[in-house]
Amino acid sequence: MTPDHLKYTNEHEWALVTETGTIRFGITDHAQESLGDIVFVTLPDPGSQVEAGENCGEIESTKSVAEIFAPISGVVVARNDVVETSPETINADPYGAGWLAEVNPADPTAIDALLSAADYEAVVSAAS
Amino acid sequence: MPLEFAGGGVLIEHDAVRSSVGLFDVSHMGTFAVSGSGAKDGLNEIFTNDLNRIAPGQAQYSMLCNDSGGVIDDLFVYLVSDEHVVVVPNAANSSVVIGTVERILESRDVRLIDQSPSTAIIAVQGPKSPEVIADIGLAVELPYLGFVERDTDHGHVLLARTGYTGEHGYELLVDSAEADYWWAELAAAANAVGGRVCGLGARDTLRTEMGYALHGHELSLDINPVEAGVGWAVGWDKIAFPGSSALKSIRESGPERKLVGLQFLDRGIPRAGMVVAASADSSAVLGKTTSGTFSPTLKQGIALALLDSEVKLGQVVSVDVRGRSCRAEIVRPPFVGSNPRA
Repeated sequence: MTPDHLKYTNEHEWALVTETGTIRFGITDHAQESLGDIVFVTLPDPGSQVEAGENCGEIESTKSVAEIFAPISGVVVARNDVVETSPETINADPYGAGWLAEVNPADPTAIDALLSAADYEAVVSAAS
Repeated sequence: MPLEFAGGGVLIEHDAVRSSVGLFDVSHMGTFAVSGSGAKDGLNEIFTNDLNRIAPGQAQYSMLCNDSGGVIDDLFVYLVSDEHVVVVPNAANSSVVIGTVERILESRDVRLIDQSPSTAIIAVQGPKSPEVIADIGLAVELPYLGFVERDTDHGHVLLARTGYTGEHGYELLVDSAEADYWWAELAAAANAVGGRVCGLGARDTLRTEMGYALHGHELSLDINPVEAGVGWAVGWDKIAFPGSSALKSIRESGPERKLVGLQFLDRGIPRAGMVVAASADSSAVLGKTTSGTFSPTLKQGIALALLDSEVKLGQVVSVDVRGRSCRAEIVRPPFVGSNPRA
């Protein structure tokens, strides 16, 4: 199940334009399923600059460590402290309560270039 | 054995073993039997521990060392009688152990039979394991490290009070032709009491919480039993065996390194091979982690580390977690309560 109202990256992340124009992002259901039990998360600090496609944090499961890639360039304006204290929230609700951070985008139109839900599902099925 | 089972996951499987019961298919381990007059005495000249410390019907943790005291493998020895001994080495080291034992026992009147292909091993671990064992018709009172052999309608079974989780548990050595039968029976019995089948991931978090050594990590050709804190599995006063004189001199002069537990004070998950320093801004390296994981019981990072033998319990050190410095306290494992004898 890949929500239609979100945009996606090849790195298995989703992005959403919030009501205030910031970009909220997280990892996809496929990503959390592949990682298994998530037990540790490091998120970018608010105020820090992130670059699209570049590493800005870590998600660690009982099985492995994965980097978090910023889906879009900009300045971090919020991070989800809930997933730092309860990392399993990402497994339980990757598209909702398990979001990671919000970025004030350098280019508000950049999100349009990300993948649609159908395109992302094609990426996942091509890889499996 | 998979890393984890579908519908399970490392955390759920780990918790099943700590609170109820979990099954592990550990048939990848090797199995061989040594039989003939002098089987026990011959093996006592090869492995580190002293087989004269135990009686028939008891199992013993032991090691095979090289002449310099490096550990070729750690293994379990099941003393059936003075003329018949069953040995379970690690999968990866099985052929080296068998080759070494064959070479040393060549001139003796004993036979070694590699039973690895014909033996399946199933571990049943957790506080509800006695119920599972009773449910499949093998009810028996066994002391810790005791074992019995039974001939059943489904082949030969060696049932032992052994394991690698720190819980009350059993390991069953069964004929591989009957493995499907025993696995299905045990899984049904485990499910009936809220248990589940478990994978390699939970096996590793469980043993790390107990501080149990894993060959290739806490024990290796480069890490001797004295450093690793398993000198209790060396028969210091018995007949000579490979590595015995080297180990004695290491023990007398004191090891340069010792294996300790690290309990994380900062958020972070250690893994094997991370550098441990006296503090974040210290260039003085104390050693490296040998294993590390997220402890599902403590909900924090734990590690085993081989450090300079000068370090003290309670000392706070710094672990380099991929460039990030995390503080950890030196502790004596196990990290959680231990109940294998309960």
